[in-house]
Parts: sequence; structure tokens; C-alpha cells
Amino acid sequence: MSDKFEPNIVAFLCNWCSYAGADLAGTSRIQYPPNLHIVRVMCTGRVNPLFVVNAFQQGADGVLVSGCHPGDCHYMEGNYYARRRFTLIRELLEYVGVDPKRFHMSWVSASEGAKWKDVVEEVVENAKAAGPFDQFRRNKINW
Amino acid sequence: MEHLKLSKDKLGDFVAKLGDKEVLVPQKEGEALKFVPLTGDSVPELDYANTSVPPKNAVFPQTETMLRFEWGKMETTAVTGEAKEKVFFGVRPCDARAKVIVDKLFTWDEKDPYYVEKREKSTVVGLACAEPCSNCFCTSVGGGPASTEGLDVLLTDLGESYLVQPLTDEGQSLCQAASDDLEKAAEGDVQAAEKVHQEAEKKISRQIDTGGIPEGLPGLWENELWEKVSQSCLGCGICTYLCPTCHCFDMQDEVEGFDGRRCRTWDSCMFSEYTMHASGHNPRPTRRERTRNRINHKYSYFVDKFDVIACVGCGRCISLCPVNIDILDILSKVKEAL
Amino acid sequence: MVDLDKLRTVAKETVSRDDVKYLIGWSQGTFGFRVSPHFVKEPEEVDSLTFSPLCCNNLATYLTLTEKNPVPRGEEADTRKVALMVKGCDSRAVVQQLVEHGVGRDQVYIIGCPCEGVVDVKKVEKKFGELLEPVQASWENGKVSFQLPGGQVESLPREEVLAQNCLTCRYPNPVVSDILLWDEVEVKGNDDYEDVKELESKSSQDKWAYWQDKFTSCIRCYSCRNVCPLCYCEDCILDRLNPTWVFRSTNVAENTAFQMARAFHLAGRCIECGECERVCPVDIPLMKINRKLYKEVHEKYEFEPGLDPETKPFQASYRPDDKEDFIL
Repeated sequence: MSDKFEPNIVAFLCNWCSYAGADLAGTSRIQYPPNLHIVRVMCTGRVNPLFVVNAFQQGADGVLVSGCHPGDCHYMEGNYYARRRFTLIRELLEYVGVDPKRFHMSWVSASEGAKWKDVVEEVVENAKAAGPFDQFRRNKINW
Repeated sequence: MEHLKLSKDKLGDFVAKLGDKEVLVPQKEGEALKFVPLTGDSVPELDYANTSVPPKNAVFPQTETMLRFEWGKMETTAVTGEAKEKVFFGVRPCDARAKVIVDKLFTWDEKDPYYVEKREKSTVVGLACAEPCSNCFCTSVGGGPASTEGLDVLLTDLGESYLVQPLTDEGQSLCQAASDDLEKAAEGDVQAAEKVHQEAEKKISRQIDTGGIPEGLPGLWENELWEKVSQSCLGCGICTYLCPTCHCFDMQDEVEGFDGRRCRTWDSCMFSEYTMHASGHNPRPTRRERTRNRINHKYSYFVDKFDVIACVGCGRCISLCPVNIDILDILSKVKEAL
Repeated sequence: MVDLDKLRTVAKETVSRDDVKYLIGWSQGTFGFRVSPHFVKEPEEVDSLTFSPLCCNNLATYLTLTEKNPVPRGEEADTRKVALMVKGCDSRAVVQQLVEHGVGRDQVYIIGCPCEGVVDVKKVEKKFGELLEPVQASWENGKVSFQLPGGQVESLPREEVLAQNCLTCRYPNPVVSDILLWDEVEVKGNDDYEDVKELESKSSQDKWAYWQDKFTSCIRCYSCRNVCPLCYCEDCILDRLNPTWVFRSTNVAENTAFQMARAFHLAGRCIECGECERVCPVDIPLMKINRKLYKEVHEKYEFEPGLDPETKPFQASYRPDDKEDFIL
């Protein structure tokens, strides 16, 4: 067992596309890093950008939001709103000094099990490069 | 106790002799002037009017842990022993007087152990005001630019040196520890200090006669003046958080997973959810009621219980209110209505 | 040119109207350089109204701040209009409130005051000291003239005394109004977002260190939120308990979360009036964060809030061809 840093990554996956895509990767026995803690939401449009901030406060070293491709959203437009919001939250996070390698967004459809593996590997690699993220954590700083 | 003198170039040495205690001086933390622990060999900069955040944040911190709990066990945070001996250096007489006022509340029926322990372990070295701020009105509420209430030592700026006046036993022992840097003050120095104090008192231009206000306020409950003075209020917490006598707090449980803490944080009676009940009912629903409550609390209810107005005239609420709600303006309207 | 007689005449007429509840304007404060918001109900009170470089308050915040209480049985709610005096930035706040249906167009009577920029009181008090006697000020040929106590008059160039966002202001004239009090002023400002770009160019560690230093002093007084004309949610997410998004304790992690949440909620809505930064008692440079998001929205989506009452709110709309360059 190596004692290299293993990042904790919180992933918000939309039920219809990305969660199913991740599930397909699993049933196809595609091997990918186990660092993700997955939260299933019905649509990326439901993901409040403050979830990202909250995830960092509760110990995440990286956050991923993944949904249907634009035009394919199960609820027609949820991912369009998400795209706008997450573009802004990403700029804000970078501006406040959070390493941009910690936050990612992706479009992974239900049939893209192979793409899911690539996305996860990239996210985990980036989070490893960025290192542990203790400065935003609640209990480490002040309790 | 005899007067002593400290020349300004020996200020650093004097402070260094306070050695094992934590010395809090007015310094910038971020952008705000606050009382923060002095680090290293730095010399306190005493050329300032007043801090934006009053020194109450060291004895009554904005966030204070009361208990910690972990999954499987519950333990109370050790209150005694955690608080360090502190020396507040360069506190203005109004803020020191405020401590005495707030003490009355925290030791009233139940002694608040968190507050009391910190207060007992603190020594206060004050700096008399030579140039009062434009909004100071300490003389109207029982204070003054050289008031000694709540102080252990009083310094007065004489130009090249400070007149050092120990007032209590703690103050005396503090001065004895630094006796190498202190000389005996001459009669002329004492008179010069007296002159500084008198000149400062004359410079305080904002005055109000508070006679009749504590008794008369309850009768003005339904008066239309409360509507007028609160219309532009934003309902923020600046006046309460930066007031040296305000002391309201909220208790919060902060939990992460299975561990957490219970802490108390400052609260403000001007916030809309201050008196919000769990049912959704709010007995002070608008800023009118909350402004009325604040003035009544400071100038009437506190007087009923403790015989002192819960205001020291530091003027921070006036200088920092974003919409220029002026407590002296409110009080003059109260007097008119009486 | 500011015409105080016209201002007072129009105010008097407005307050005397049957369909106007009260008028909100500015009047001389209780000391020094202060000006306070004044709620005028009776025509006699209009003489204290003024307009000068000291009028920094954004009065649009009172449209949504004033509580709407349930009325006792038998009485009816007072649904008359509120007359509001606005500068350029204030009118943009009103437009944004109209876009979001926070206020109805028929509930407000807008009196427009083209503005040549208001002072930064902190800068001015540093120059002249914290004066007690009320000070008057006026705009004179690109300078700001102060009538100090004792009869002394000092004129200073606008770059020295105006608030930072007034120097880069591109909308000094009210974008919507029922009546305009005097002629429109020329646009003097231009905005390259220099302050934002300067901070953007630093490394992540430097940026984090910069903001942590500033957020350490935040005392969570909520003054920035309360003064903002666009922060008017009755149930603010930052006050909420169960779930508690942001704990009430004032350590730097919570303060950062608070400021980020607020900045994000204002993305595409903030109209850059600068009030948040003015009111902050510990001088946190809040406009730097808000302007960063303003710049992103302006550059990436070519959208500026508060200009067109018919537009859709920014975060509630999308274009199928929105940029997505960082998405995997």
C-alpha cells in the first residue's frame, strides 16, 4: 500500500446520462481510480454551485460535475443553465486562489463508459498534482 | 500610588518586560484596526484615534467554542487553563469603562465562566485621549477622556514621554516589573498631564443631557419618532458588533460528520431573525421595533437593572453607520418628545 | 448642472400627489461629509433634500428593504407608489429589480438625477480629517468643490476624491426615469478592469494569500448584503440554519464561503454601485470580487445587467452556443 496522497473527489452526476455512463463503465469492468465519492442528482441543472464550495469545506480535494451533452438533457435545458453557472463558479474559484485543477466539469453520456474512465483519470491526476486541500476545511482550521 | 514617567524611546523595552503575558495592541489585521497580540520585538504604535473593533473581542471573542464532541464521547472544552494572561496595551478610557459595564451583566445572576476567566486574567493599560474623535460623547454618559474606570494603569501622552499612573495592585506590579524603564514623575509632568486631560475634555463637542431619558423612554413606546429614525436603517450589525458595550450572542452547533462543537458567536438585535421564533412569528418584525428596542435596552432597561447607561460614548456607531443613523440625533428626538 | 430648486419643486409636486406614499431622497447628514437617506411624506420637508457629490447612498435598496407587514383586519395595505431619486447606478439597480419582478414598474416613480460621480468618504476624511460641522460639496468643471467649516473652499480634481467605481462609470445618466431633473452628463469613465486583471495575473498561492488576509478581518456584520439593492431574498441562504450553508462562526474558511456565495449570487446581477465596499467597516475590497464576475459576464456573454427592463435575468437564461472551453 503506497502512502502517496490519494485525493477525495466529490462528483455530482446527472441521473440520466453521467450516472448511467459511470454504471456502464462498471458493468463493462473498465478499471478506473476509486477516489470518487459520487452524488447522484437528477440533472446538472439541480446542482447549486455552492455545493462545490461546501464540498471543499467538508474535505474534498477536488470536485467534478458531469451531465448530459448540450442538446441532450433529459429535462431539455438543465445542462445549459449548469454550463453558465459552472463557468462562473470556476472563474470565481480560480480568482479567490483555489487551484483550477481542483474543479472540473464534463459531458458524459449514458453510452460513454470509456470516456468516463478518461474523465475520472484526468480529474484524479489533476487533484493529485494540486495536493491536499486543507485551507478551506472547516474542522481542521478552527476546532 | 505615585506617578511615574516613561520616555517614548523606552516603550519597546517596557512592553518586552511584560514578557510572559500576551500583549494586545492596536494593529491592522487585514484592513481593520483591532487589538491583536504583539509579535516579536515590534513596538506598539500608539498614534491612533480608536480601533474599529473594540477590545471586547479578546475577552468576549466573536466565536468561542464552549464544548467539543466526538462520536462516542462528549467532553467539555477545558475553560480554565486555556485562557492566557493578557495585557491590553493602549486601550482608550471609553473601552475600558465599557468592560466594567459588560462585567455587570456577565456576573449578574450566573457568572459566565468563559468571560469571567478571561477578564480575571487580563490587565488593562489605558491611554488617555488627547485628541478625541469628532463623534465622541463620553462626557455625556458618565465617562471622560481620562476616566480611570476599568483601568489598571493610565498613560498620558506628554510629547516625548508618557505619564504612567498605576491605579490598581495589578497595575502597580506591572510597573514594578518594568521599573528599570520608568522614572519618577515630576510635579510638572503631573500638571502637564492634567492639562492634557482638561484640554481633551474641552475638545469633546458632541454633548447630550441624558437626564430624564431612562425614566421617560418606556412612555414613548408608541411614539412616531421610532418610525422616522429607523426608516433608513439597513438592519445590519455594524452598530452592535462594533459597540464596546453590546454583548448579545447566539449559540450554534457546528457539526461535520459525527464530530463538532458548540460555540457562541456575536449576534445583533438589529438582525431581522434575532427574535424570530421557531413558529415563524417575530415580535420585532420591522426595523422600527428593533431600533426602539436597542435604544430602550441601552438607555432604559440596563439602567433599571444596573444603574448605568450601557453606552460609553465612543462614537463608533455614529462614524461607521452606513446610512448616518446617529444615536445622538435619536436621543435629541427622544428628549423633544418627552 | 445640478438645480436644487428644480429638485425641490419636483419633489414637492411628487409628494403632494395622491398616488405617492413617500419620496426617498438625500439630505444633509448629522456631521461632516455624511449624507443620509431621507423619507419625505409631507411637502414641507422637501427643503432639506439635496444632491451633491456626497450623496453616495444607493436608495434603490429601500424599495425592497422596507418591510411589507400584514395589516390589521379592516384596514387595507397602502399600495401607493414610492417616489425614488436615483443616480445612474441606482437606476440600473431599479431596472434589475424590475427584471426580476422584485418591484413592479407601477409601484415606483423614478426621479432621475444625472450624476458626475460621488466621493469616497474614506479618501476625503483622510484628506480633511473627520470633521464635525456639516460640509457642502458640489461639482465644478471637472473638480469637486468642498465648502468646509469656517468658510474655506477647496476644489480638488475628481481623480483624487471620487469613488473608484465612479471614475470608471459608463452609466452616469439614469437608464430609466419618469422625470429627469436636469441635462444628462457626458460619460467620462471607461472600464478596462485593470484592478481585476492585476489580481488575475498573480499565482494561485498569491491570490489565496491576498484574499485570506482580507477575509480574516470580516466580522460578518452583513452590512454588504443589507445595503445591496439586489440582495433582497426574504430567506437569505446565508442566514439559513438546517441546512447551514455557512456557519455563523467568523473564521476565515466560513468568511470566504460567505463572500463567495454572495459574489456568485450577484453574478450577472451586480450593477457595480460600489455600496458594499463603501459600507464595509473593515475595508474589504469587495468590488474586486464583484467586478471580476461582472467582467466575465460582460466579456464571455456580452451582457450587462440593469440596462434593459425587458431582458431575462442572466442566470435564468442560456444560449445554445454559450462558451464551454473548460468542459471535458
